[in-house]
Amino acid sequence: MKRIYKSIYSTILVGVGLCGFLSVNSCTNLDEEVFSEVLSKDFKPGERDLPSIVAPVYASFRSLMFGWQGYFDLQEESADHIITPVRPNGWDDAGTYRRMHQHNWTTIQWQPYNTWQQAYSSITKANMIIMQIEEDTLPLPADVASAAIAELRAARALAYYLLLDNHGNVPIVTDYRDVELPEQKTREEVYRFVVNELTEVVPFLSEEVASMYGRMNVWAAKALLAKIYLNAQVYIGEQQWEKVIAETEDIIQSGAFRLDIAYKDVFSSTNESSPEIIFAVPYDEVYGHGNQLHMKTLSPLSRLVYNMAAGPWGGNCAVPQFIDTYDQDDQRLFDSWLQGAQYNATTGDVAITYVKEVPGIGGDGTVAADNAGYRLGKYAIKNGATNNLDNDYPMFRYADILMMKAEALLRTGRENEAALLVSEVRERAFKPVPDKALVTGAELLKGSMYNYGWQEKDGTVNGNNGGADIEFGRFLDELGWEFAGEARRRQDIIRFGVFQTKSWFNHRPHARAQSRTLFPIPNDEINKNPKLDQNPGYE
Amino acid sequence: MKRIIILLLLLWNVCFSIYAQQRLRLNGKVTDSTGEPIVGATLSIEGHNEQYSSTVGGTFSFEYDKGDKLLVSSVGYLPFSVVLDGQSTLHVQLQASAEALDEVVVIGYGTQTRGEITSSIASVKSEDFTKGAVKDAGQLIQGKVAGLRISTPSGDPGESSQVNLRGLNSINGSQNPLVIIDGIPGDLNTVAPEDIESIDVLKDGSAAAIYGTRATAGVILVTTRRNTATDNRTTIEYNGYTSLQTLFRKPEMMDASDYRRLIADGVSYDDLGTETNWIDEVTRNPLSHNHNVTLFGGNSRTNFTGAINYRDWEGVFLKSGQERLNVRTNLHHEMFEGKLKTNMQLISRSAKSNNGGSSPYMWRQAIIRNPTDQLYNEHGKWQERDAYFYDNPLGMIHETIDDRIFRETRLSGSLDYRPVEGLSLKMLLSRVQNNNLSGNATTFNHVNTTKNNLNGTASRDTRAATENLMELTANYTKSFDGHKIDMLGGYSWQDDTFEQFYAYNFDFPTDNYTYNKLEAGAAIQRGLGEMTSYKENRKLIGFFARVAYNYKEKYMAMASIRREGSSTFGENNKWGSFPAISLGWDIAKEDFLAAIGEINQLKLRTGFGVTGTIASASYMSQTSYNFERAQGAYINGKWVPGFVPTRNFNPDLRWERKHEYNVGLDFSLFDNRVYGSFDYYTRQVKDLLYQFNVPSPPYLYPNMMLNAGEMSNAGFEALVNVDAFRESNFKWKTGITVATNKNKLINLSNDQFNVTVPFFEAGYTGEPIQIATHRVEVGRAVGDFYVLKTVGVDDDGKWLIENKEGETIPISDSSPDDRQYYGNGIPDVNLGWNNSFHYKNIDFSFNFRGSFGHQVLNMTRLYYENPINKAYNALKTAYDPVYGQTLTNDLVYVSHYIEDADFLKLDNVTLGYTFKPNAIKGVQNLRMYASGFNLMTITGYKGLDPEAASYQGDFTFAPGIEHRDRYPTTRMFTVGLNVTF
Repeated sequence: MKRIYKSIYSTILVGVGLCGFLSVNSCTNLDEEVFSEVLSKDFKPGERDLPSIVAPVYASFRSLMFGWQGYFDLQEESADHIITPVRPNGWDDAGTYRRMHQHNWTTIQWQPYNTWQQAYSSITKANMIIMQIEEDTLPLPADVASAAIAELRAARALAYYLLLDNHGNVPIVTDYRDVELPEQKTREEVYRFVVNELTEVVPFLSEEVASMYGRMNVWAAKALLAKIYLNAQVYIGEQQWEKVIAETEDIIQSGAFRLDIAYKDVFSSTNESSPEIIFAVPYDEVYGHGNQLHMKTLSPLSRLVYNMAAGPWGGNCAVPQFIDTYDQDDQRLFDSWLQGAQYNATTGDVAITYVKEVPGIGGDGTVAADNAGYRLGKYAIKNGATNNLDNDYPMFRYADILMMKAEALLRTGRENEAALLVSEVRERAFKPVPDKALVTGAELLKGSMYNYGWQEKDGTVNGNNGGADIEFGRFLDELGWEFAGEARRRQDIIRFGVFQTKSWFNHRPHARAQSRTLFPIPNDEINKNPKLDQNPGYE
Repeated sequence: MKRIIILLLLLWNVCFSIYAQQRLRLNGKVTDSTGEPIVGATLSIEGHNEQYSSTVGGTFSFEYDKGDKLLVSSVGYLPFSVVLDGQSTLHVQLQASAEALDEVVVIGYGTQTRGEITSSIASVKSEDFTKGAVKDAGQLIQGKVAGLRISTPSGDPGESSQVNLRGLNSINGSQNPLVIIDGIPGDLNTVAPEDIESIDVLKDGSAAAIYGTRATAGVILVTTRRNTATDNRTTIEYNGYTSLQTLFRKPEMMDASDYRRLIADGVSYDDLGTETNWIDEVTRNPLSHNHNVTLFGGNSRTNFTGAINYRDWEGVFLKSGQERLNVRTNLHHEMFEGKLKTNMQLISRSAKSNNGGSSPYMWRQAIIRNPTDQLYNEHGKWQERDAYFYDNPLGMIHETIDDRIFRETRLSGSLDYRPVEGLSLKMLLSRVQNNNLSGNATTFNHVNTTKNNLNGTASRDTRAATENLMELTANYTKSFDGHKIDMLGGYSWQDDTFEQFYAYNFDFPTDNYTYNKLEAGAAIQRGLGEMTSYKENRKLIGFFARVAYNYKEKYMAMASIRREGSSTFGENNKWGSFPAISLGWDIAKEDFLAAIGEINQLKLRTGFGVTGTIASASYMSQTSYNFERAQGAYINGKWVPGFVPTRNFNPDLRWERKHEYNVGLDFSLFDNRVYGSFDYYTRQVKDLLYQFNVPSPPYLYPNMMLNAGEMSNAGFEALVNVDAFRESNFKWKTGITVATNKNKLINLSNDQFNVTVPFFEAGYTGEPIQIATHRVEVGRAVGDFYVLKTVGVDDDGKWLIENKEGETIPISDSSPDDRQYYGNGIPDVNLGWNNSFHYKNIDFSFNFRGSFGHQVLNMTRLYYENPINKAYNALKTAYDPVYGQTLTNDLVYVSHYIEDADFLKLDNVTLGYTFKPNAIKGVQNLRMYASGFNLMTITGYKGLDPEAASYQGDFTFAPGIEHRDRYPTTRMFTVGLNVTF
């Protein structure tokens, strides 16, 4: 037996020796060797790294706004400008676009969840970076630190504003160290929080314009405040019209922005140089992917028109009733919507002719032809476009500042002052017929020209309840013409009461219409956090 | 190929060496595989009447003529024969016969006899393997191991069979069993099927626990063929076959005349003026061939095994196929009177394919393409059309270059030192190196350029892996007074490194370079190309010990433990312990049954074992960051990458653990004529590794790898073999395997993070339907479909569905909340029935295989059995009434397309004829055979093949989908030849 032990012993010795030799380390070393990641212990960030550290807070807005079933769809497909009908290839996606149009979304609808996720992604990243600065794991000079924290809080407030507008009753988390499941806040609490945050950080924010493009500077914060005050009646039942005027007036007085000479240039693939843009979500074909609006709207045949390096999917288009509201001399009708014959860039032949008429949203066997409906052409598609456009999304622009101020004036009995601002905005759209640019205060007090009602397959509108009864309906039309396709129509028609009461295309007011002005708290989030209650009307 | 033919010719020549007529004397002995002499073995020369017996010490002596064939037989052993070519001494080593209870079973780091086994282990020897054109090691034992479900859902020659043991046992970890080839981890393709001697499957936890953390999905031990040396024996075997494949079934799409008939009826299809059967255009009935040469040489001290396998399999899709060469050499040497045994093995394999654009997506294009369209346009180029996801499939095939090469070298060596009787000290070292190199390009005539203006695309991808393994084991066996004790201790160290590089470019001045001059493209300069590189390393270290004891093979016990650590887990949880214990009692050996001669074995077994599952990726517990372009933004007037945490940090990540109980009964009755086993198991997987949805905030990302939840599996397995006839002229062996499995997800929650997930969705229809197909819910089985349940069609041709209140409503009024559970994609029962007959020189075998109690989502019908979409072709049945109405509904995922998929398949039929020895001089054995695979399926399922649903990858939690984009299964006819020189 002794001999056996000796042999085993010597084998173990040999083995241990061998394994030490082979693995360099010891026999039981299980430390991971990391090659394609940066270990926190190996990387000490500093001021130099600040741009890369802050960037992810903004990056979330990119896929959020113009990405697949993003914020654009959320705001436009639930409203009266844009629809995604069933196309000949059977594109129905389990009825998701129809549910958006008819306000039948459920607690698992992806579009509102997408906004929720991306907004909170931005918020949590901002919280994390604020913590790193505060704890000095990201050491910065004092002035740089306070400016960075102010900017991060403003960007975080922007994300909370999206939640305030869409989901209303959401949790507020500001401390990354807090790992408790967050408590739900009321829409009013969220409103107060966002307003307070913005008001607090304004004094510390940069007034720079060029170097702060695409970031939260003082003007972006003020534009956002104006936007929130504009909708305060919807959010908390309070009117804040004077505050709208004050914030917009600050921006106007600064002289930092002006209306661009050409409407088109505000949305072009080089719109980062537009003097009109206050806050944009920048996109880039190479570095900043996410603007895929053209892919969703264009017919596959349109690739011939732009020599595209990708095949578009052929989906959404304009509601014919909305197109009918345009004045034929309004240049924005042509700058916003692709219509009529589209020409092959190589041969000059007609590639496809987009017609205004769309038979229906589908779901009842109706199929919209490949060329049915005008397409979103506002964000000019460059020749040779890939599936990612360069065009930045101008979330806040000077025309909007003027129109917000005009709306506040209009709603406080100063319609003639409002008319001056509206006319100023209209001017560039009616260059050949300048008279048409002018509107009067009396006109702004009229109803809407939108022929609200249910559209039959043949294009006739039944159950006709029109738009004449809409208070300040004409002003709402002005918003529609100026801001079509800018991912905001839902908010505007909620404020004017249209969202809850009118029919358009294949949409009728929902049985629980008022509850539809908020999207549901995503079911998955309630599953993850039992402290969350569902919004009213979705139980 | 040329080289191989020359080699074959050379071998041929060697075998036809001249011999002369001369009377010689032969002295020798007969032993068993352990060297124990066999007394009373019968020896005879074929064609002569004289018989000799081995005497005390197993010795014998007689005279013979050179070229005579010696036959040796003994009860309980396999018959042995050898052609005597002039030798004067001979050591005959007889292998225990399969029927015998002392058949050797490989159990991992050792062997036991069938009689000693206390856990659930299935062993299949080469004579029971599936015959014919077998794809890989998995197909060899298809339907022959109860509880091991093996399917071949793809007809792609490059795809392996899919293997699953005892249900789904992990969410994140691998579902694939650990495959060990001669002690070293590999896969089902590591060695050619012809080169395998036996396959042993460790099924239950008590058997598999010795492999610790990789063993939850079971262990498949592959033993390659070895020279079981007798003196100076050189044998060469050639196995070759040629096979023809046809599509198992084609989808019945509308043809040009259907289109024209419907157009005449006012349906708005486009008549493009010609007629094309696109499915016929993209497929063929290919011939494939396979050659295998095995050479055994040497003597009892030094011997050699060499195997060469060349195979060129073509696929039914044009251009698809795989060419493969596997070479294995094994050198075994003993010295110091057998005290030191050394073994060296080298396996080199390479596989090459040049598939062009043949892909599952191409198949979709062939199915949906307008049958009145033409292949070429008026300029002689591929006829393309501008429509959504609509490309000419032949353009895809011919204008794509897709070349893949896989190369692997496996070098292993072992030293086995036996200083004293019963003690073996062994060291095993191995290094496995492999690399994949692929190149892809599209020409100027591909839609990438003709439609999307990319001006040619090209990419290269290369991956390399190195796996180092060292194992040290000490084994001590002692027998005394009917007691037998077997002890094992060991240490295992494994270090794997994986590296990858990929580059993609487009916008080339010419398409002549294909993928061989990536820098000629301009897209990289424009920022539109792609490039990635990656490297990872992981280590696995284990200490293990095992004790096995039996008393006269009546009472048996075995216990083992493995203490194992993996680098992939969190700092505090790297190590885990995996114990096992099992007991056996052979009642037949008790006095009260010993008198009943009909009962040869009646062994009760019970076992418990713990195994683990490793995280599927390294670094999941690391606190690390990355610079990501997708997280970048436009800051200070330029684009910068974003610096973000790689993941939600979880330094507490730990082992997933499976506890398994198994009870079994092994039996052998009527002079070992009826034998088999029954097993019942329950397995509980705890601490499931799962990408948990976590609330964000507070967490940065909305999901996080956590140990969360518990899943159970239970099932019954039976194997019954009957040697119905075993006369020398007529033998019939029949065997049945039956296995059931019941899966349940018990919970998905994590206390530390105080979160619970009631369900998650899985599977995806794809566009244009875009919805999940399955739901995995706590309290239910994995594999449940979750769908709108159709109960009728209204007068307008729209679906009527049952809503969540149970009322019938139009589908337009339904919401996703009305979805309900409808069927399950995993079979409840799997059945195998294997038969082999021998009549004189004729052998005949056939196998049936079946699965019952499951449903399959027929995606071909879901997408193409609906007349709504006039842009794409549809099935001929699309216009058939459904519930008495013609459908006018949009494409929608509803229960109507989920079908019962019970099937019984005539899987393999083989007829062979073995010629008399020396019918051709120098040829010891010559057999010719014809064989057919996947011949017939009895099923009510309307799709192409009920077995074509994948159970892996994306389909792990969405089993039972016969996907629309796929490589369809085939039927195969084979003729082959086995020759032994």
